[in-house]
Amino acid sequence: MAEPLTMALPKGRLTEDALAHLARAGYLPPANGDAGRKLVLDGADGRLRFIMVKPSDVPVFVEYGAADLGVAGLDVLREAERDVYEPLLLPFGYCRLVVAGKAGRPDQPLRLERSPRVATKFPRLTEAFFRKRGLAPELIIMSGSVELAPLVGLADLIVDLVQTGATLRENGLVELRVILESQAALIVNRASYRLRAGAVRELIDAMAEVVG
Amino acid sequence: MPTSSFSVDRPLPEGVRDLLFADTAAWRGMEAVLRQTVAAWGYREITLPTFEYADTLATDVGAQIDAEMYRFFDRHGRTLALRPDMTLPTARVVGTRLYDYPLPLRLSYVGSVFRHEPPRAGRQHEFSQVGVELMGAPGSAADAESVALAVAALRAVGLPQFRITVGHVGFFRGLLAALALPDWLAARFREAVDRKAEAELGLLLNEASNLPPIARRAVLALPRLTGDAGVLIEAEGACLNATMMQALSELRAMAELLAAYGVADAVSYDLAEVRDLDYYTGITFEGFAPGLGFNTISGGRYDDLVSHFGPPLPAVGWALTLDRVLLARELQGLTLPEPTVDVLLSAHGCPDCLVWATAARQRGLRVEVDALRLAPDALWASAQARGITRTARHNGGPGMLIVRDAAGERTISAADWEEVARWQNR
Repeated sequence: MAEPLTMALPKGRLTEDALAHLARAGYLPPANGDAGRKLVLDGADGRLRFIMVKPSDVPVFVEYGAADLGVAGLDVLREAERDVYEPLLLPFGYCRLVVAGKAGRPDQPLRLERSPRVATKFPRLTEAFFRKRGLAPELIIMSGSVELAPLVGLADLIVDLVQTGATLRENGLVELRVILESQAALIVNRASYRLRAGAVRELIDAMAEVVG
Repeated sequence: MPTSSFSVDRPLPEGVRDLLFADTAAWRGMEAVLRQTVAAWGYREITLPTFEYADTLATDVGAQIDAEMYRFFDRHGRTLALRPDMTLPTARVVGTRLYDYPLPLRLSYVGSVFRHEPPRAGRQHEFSQVGVELMGAPGSAADAESVALAVAALRAVGLPQFRITVGHVGFFRGLLAALALPDWLAARFREAVDRKAEAELGLLLNEASNLPPIARRAVLALPRLTGDAGVLIEAEGACLNATMMQALSELRAMAELLAAYGVADAVSYDLAEVRDLDYYTGITFEGFAPGLGFNTISGGRYDDLVSHFGPPLPAVGWALTLDRVLLARELQGLTLPEPTVDVLLSAHGCPDCLVWATAARQRGLRVEVDALRLAPDALWASAQARGITRTARHNGGPGMLIVRDAAGERTISAADWEEVARWQNR
């Protein structure tokens, strides 16, 4: 039996969907079913080995070849700008990266802002979005609870992921612009794409079949 | 560790580093074996300046590389640039100084290049390359030579597993011409192909109006046109015009020669490779090794470059990045030991020992003479601490040496060169 392909999976909201889609494509999830503490798990059929990593780390694991393949959100992929192939979009993990501000803020175009203080977990995309519009944002890079920043006067605006918008509403924030429509994607290491061409192609085709 | 105060507050700029002993030894070893390899194929080495006028290096074919150049000023305020690759200065040398030399020219180079990498990419900004350029020879024979030499180079540096993937810009350019997409769509199309975003290709096609079914099929087939030489036959069905056919026939001619060179098993093909589409004019290739997402070697045909510096000349070549080859070798379990000497010699109070050291070095032995007047046990401890497997000292009577190694101590004649020769078995 050939060495299994290594797949980097994001721990968290995408894990279950990713495993379910792989299972439907004929790639069995880890046998012990417990994706709790172990970080390296072997698929029950020996075709895949899974490594469980922080979602934002998936692209770098794949770029450096620590994993042959991975599942990552487009939000994370575009922020990371890593050199990987992206053969397939997967039908889950839908969300959007938006600019949001306090509900009561004056209704004026963003381009008239002076140099807005923007709190975000996505500094690269945020900077690019504002710079493109001729603005020099002051970035406040956070690693959680970004919604809090405008409420306590830490930032004028936030750039964050939104699924339903409920969290924003509960915190008195409104969506102002959409920066990116995101969903999950299958990514592949550039060397594995060639050196493990047969196995990689098989997986892409099987997944494409499931995705439809 | 020393307890005395020392300063750690001496930072290095982003993207540069020191190489210590084992790495430097590995570097020089690879350079030596690569110099030998390319020389055996008739490539002659030239030495290029580390910096030049930025204007001299600027061309309209290298916009990407132009953005990555390190620039600074000379004292007259003119802008200088550290060489971002070796191909540009080589093309300048050929275009301005060697244009009337008998063709073809086979040139090689070894040295550091400097590029601003995007922040957070975690890559070195200074890295070492060894490369070759074959100038003045169009056609598949030259292409095949370049690819075969790339394989020979990677084999010579002892990379156990790797693959060279060859593409041809003509195939994708031909496809773009046949599709006649509006510019914005063509750019998105190319970008999707670059990311191998198969699913997006279909969506993009829906945005293009009036594409004939045959063109649609050709686009959707693109991601599968990768693999062994068989794809060069399969791809015929996807050809929409003469440009695409021409690219295929050039690749096929080259593939036949690669088989004769005995490197066919190390080469695969990818007709959907669109990197550096503006720079290259014919074949392109990259070398990949397991576990490393970056190429270790990259090259191709660039017939439009030399004309920026002098009379036009067809050219094909590649550059190998030593930093990445070393990493790829390590990922495949190949590491080199720390370089050490063969013997640590105590010569304190023994002029004859220095005579012996000179004689031993002439025989190829690596001898380090103790400079600290160490006592026998301290001498042995010092050797062990630095990975030296053997000490020697006098006191063993006239013409005798007391040798100590893992097996213990023994006395040998200083003239026993047979024994000494065995010390070199490393």
